[in-house]
Amino acid sequence: MEDNEEDDYMNMIIAEPARSEKETSIQRTARKRREARERGFHKTKQEREADAAAARDAALSTSLNTSNKGFKMMAKLGYKPGTTLGKAEHARIEPIGVVIKENRGGIGHDSEKKRKIRGELEEAAKRVKVEEVGYRERVRQEREEKRVGGQLVGAQKIAEGLDMEADQDAAAEEDDGTTKDSSRVPLNKRPLGSINVLWRGLIKSRLEKDVERRMRADMQQSLSRLPTYDNPTEEQEDRDAYAKKQTANEFVEEDLFDEDAELNEFQELDAGERLDKVVMYLRKTYHYCFWCKHRYENTEMEGCPGLTEEEHD
Amino acid sequence: MADDGRGAKRQKTSGAEMDPKANPYLAHHYEEESNGYSNGYSNGFSRSKKASSTVFDNLIRHQTSSKDAEVAENGPNNAFTGQPLSNRYFNILKGRRNLPVHTQRQEFLDMFQKSQILVFVGETGSGKTTQIPQFVLFDDMPQLQGKMVACTQPRRVAAMSVAQRVANEMDVPLGEEVGYSIRFEDKTSPRTILKYMTDGMLLREAMTDNNLSRYSCLILDEAHERTLATDILMGLLKEVARRRPDLKIVIMSATLDAQKFQKYFKIGEDPAPLLAVPGRTHPVEIFYTAEPERDYVEAALRTVLQIHATEPEGDILLFLTGEEEIEDACRKIGLEADELVREADAGPLKVYPLYGTLPPAQQQRIFDPAPPPHKPGGRPGRKCIVSTNIAETSLTIDGIVYVVDPGFSKQKVYNPRIRVESLLVSPISKASAQQRAGRAGRTRPGKCFRLYTEGAFKKELIEQTYPEILRSNLSMTVLQLKKLGIDDLVHFDLMDPPAPETLMRALEELNYLACLDDEGELTHLGRLAAEFPLDPSIGVMLISSPEFYCSNEMLSLTALLSVPQLFNRPASARKRADEMKELFAHPDGDHLTMLNVYHAFKGPEAQRDPKQWCHDHFLSYRALQQADNVRSQLKRIMEREDLELMSTPFEDKKYYENIRRALVSGFFMQVAKRDGSGKTYITVKDDQSVLLHPSTVLAQEAEWVVYNEFVLTTKNYIRTVTAVKAEWLLDIAPMYYNIEDFKQGEIRRSLQKTADTLRRKEALKAGKSRK
Repeated sequence: MEDNEEDDYMNMIIAEPARSEKETSIQRTARKRREARERGFHKTKQEREADAAAARDAALSTSLNTSNKGFKMMAKLGYKPGTTLGKAEHARIEPIGVVIKENRGGIGHDSEKKRKIRGELEEAAKRVKVEEVGYRERVRQEREEKRVGGQLVGAQKIAEGLDMEADQDAAAEEDDGTTKDSSRVPLNKRPLGSINVLWRGLIKSRLEKDVERRMRADMQQSLSRLPTYDNPTEEQEDRDAYAKKQTANEFVEEDLFDEDAELNEFQELDAGERLDKVVMYLRKTYHYCFWCKHRYENTEMEGCPGLTEEEHD
Repeated sequence: MADDGRGAKRQKTSGAEMDPKANPYLAHHYEEESNGYSNGYSNGFSRSKKASSTVFDNLIRHQTSSKDAEVAENGPNNAFTGQPLSNRYFNILKGRRNLPVHTQRQEFLDMFQKSQILVFVGETGSGKTTQIPQFVLFDDMPQLQGKMVACTQPRRVAAMSVAQRVANEMDVPLGEEVGYSIRFEDKTSPRTILKYMTDGMLLREAMTDNNLSRYSCLILDEAHERTLATDILMGLLKEVARRRPDLKIVIMSATLDAQKFQKYFKIGEDPAPLLAVPGRTHPVEIFYTAEPERDYVEAALRTVLQIHATEPEGDILLFLTGEEEIEDACRKIGLEADELVREADAGPLKVYPLYGTLPPAQQQRIFDPAPPPHKPGGRPGRKCIVSTNIAETSLTIDGIVYVVDPGFSKQKVYNPRIRVESLLVSPISKASAQQRAGRAGRTRPGKCFRLYTEGAFKKELIEQTYPEILRSNLSMTVLQLKKLGIDDLVHFDLMDPPAPETLMRALEELNYLACLDDEGELTHLGRLAAEFPLDPSIGVMLISSPEFYCSNEMLSLTALLSVPQLFNRPASARKRADEMKELFAHPDGDHLTMLNVYHAFKGPEAQRDPKQWCHDHFLSYRALQQADNVRSQLKRIMEREDLELMSTPFEDKKYYENIRRALVSGFFMQVAKRDGSGKTYITVKDDQSVLLHPSTVLAQEAEWVVYNEFVLTTKNYIRTVTAVKAEWLLDIAPMYYNIEDFKQGEIRRSLQKTADTLRRKEALKAGKSRK
């Protein structure tokens, strides 16, 4: 054994030249300063306990290594690192862990608590993720809807304008194109049911606003009397004085509250689809490209890059 | 041979003349002359004249039947002493014949006779501990062999009480035919044929008699408890059985984990034969909680009171973990029960604590009957026993119908990585839980309330409690094994081999203590240390104490360290107790303080009325008495081993210093250095941050201390500490304090500084002497 060791010069470890053991004055001052600082700094009880526990856990998880004298004795008996002792089948390889009970929680309480906390954490993490995605998506959608909504209104207005223009042109043609029939009700003042469903909603909401505005104005003008106020004992003069009479608009207003299946169906589509329908209507009927904001001469619509907004970027 | 002396003694005291014919070891020389040996056995056997007229004349060893034994037992004369049997004997005999094991006596004998090794499983209450050894006696006839039957017990108390019981059953005085042997107490005589002993004692005997040749049969009882000594003994017996085909071995266990024993003791390829005897138990209904408990103690109290308020008559057994917890619980239950009596007309409830360090008289109180109802016809009273796990197996209390099991016990743990052996509150095993539940079914069907969920029972509890060998420092065991002649410790066939690191650490420690040389061979010191039933470090300390001129003092101190808590500190009089302790306090530490206590105890003032004196000074009389006993036992070993007993004169200023130096000779591996800034200490080599235990008398200034114990709680404490000096460490344990081996840091720097100072002093001295 010894012979072998002597022969085996290839494995010889050449010692590093010994550093001078004495510390220089600079090193000493530095050390003194560091030590003074350490002395001056008092750790709190909790910190000390945490340190002690950490040191203990560190030591507990470090196995004895082959430099241990006991290991050398065992090696002489044929022990190999990583093997077990004795002849039993399932012998221990690691010492039994040291678990210090820190509270009076019953069996299963700690693990139940841990399980719960873990579960909650997971849940919370999931929720945060979902919410993150949801919020951004929602904001984007909202913005998009708003934008599309605006475009829809714009397109509807164009459709209204073009339809009305076409209607008047048609009327003019009927009347030989000479005079404009002033008695002819403009398209957008006709009963809602007869208005093109593509922009009927526009008119309807305009009417609604209008009614609301008028009602507010009525209220202010009616000397604090609600328009629905109806006193049967009221004299006719008074009624007249308070301008309680049926106006023309009231037909439209009644119209306003009727069920309009056609419009409802259209409104149920989302804004994008409605917009698409209006745009297609404009193209087909008037060779008007909403995106080019230009009315082309013919169906070819030469020069328009395509049907969608993206194509017009 | 060890038996020669014993054999001779046996002859002398049994009153026979010193006729060579009477010497059992010469019996074969006179074979033709010896009459009455017609039954087949010849050489080596003998008997005293007194016993020759017994029933055994007509029986053939290892061929008897239960019938034969019963005839012998029926008297009228004692089969072993020839004396007429007493009435008490016959009364007890009736009860014995009703025990569950009795019905299987023939079956037992058949197996015993056929096989060298037998595994016997009997639930508590089957009578195995008292009856099986007697069954063996009638068949094995050790008295005719000049041998004995031994039955081991894990606990001293059990060995003593069972021996007493069996002596009564056999109608002989304790210490004669039936005796016991425990550490520091041997109650046997040359006539002894059945010896109850602790497993540790048998192991100790094996060290001087590797073949255990004094015994014809060995019974290891309570093997399921898997004490360190039992595990080592089992490993040893496997080898002895091979060397001694005449030796019979019975392994007795209470649980049904018997296959493990059978497999371990396999004969050839076959498992050892098994005999199982059912216990006399009633069904126990088990209840779990729906949710895990936030506070198991509080839940336990609640459950006990609930049982008391709502359940029919029957006593309660509650398992808690330690003395303090138990005393506290007893007080609280008492108070709450009084309230229940006042407000809910509950019956009276008597609460008794039960733990190992409780004085025996108080332990005895648990057997008091439950209190009677407050008024005739009122609700019946009951008793509630709040116990550590000693009531789990070792003590049987009749009348228990309800068991409350929070699922914890204090268990020893040892970790070789930080070299700490401590008692920690840990979850019990499934086997333990079943054992606890079983306690409720001793007298009639019972109930067990487990304070955990069924899911937790299945998931959180391990199957079996870890055997002690996996939870202990093995340095003493390794020394014993070496002494037992087992050299290949790596391949020694243990039932559950410990983690390799545990052995590694033990070997290393023994090497530093110079008990083993670098080759792992036992040194002279090691051989000597193995003679002492002590931890090797304490043994070494005792052996080297003459070098420090204080072996008398170290002997006392060793004795004091091997008994339980010396100082009483009752909750009701803490301040007073502390003042009293202050009377004995030595500023240099707790070891010296303990010594002061002992010296005062032995002084004339105290000896006038030692009991009262101890009471007045808040000292444990029992512990001091025990220490006294231990001391005289150890002293005998010292004298036997020619270790000089001496003291430094008390007036000498080195008196205490010598003692402290001697402490270093054994405890140099249990040293801590104060951590620069104040209260905390850092243990040498393991670098664990520790605090001095609040009980210490040591002034805080000590730079270096030796400690007796590393206590692991949420904080790390070192308990029983004494101040030492760095130069002593370097001087007395140079191998361990080889500065090169230390990692950079405060401890190394400090040691280096001390070494430098020492060197300078030496140089100065040398210079002076040259002039």
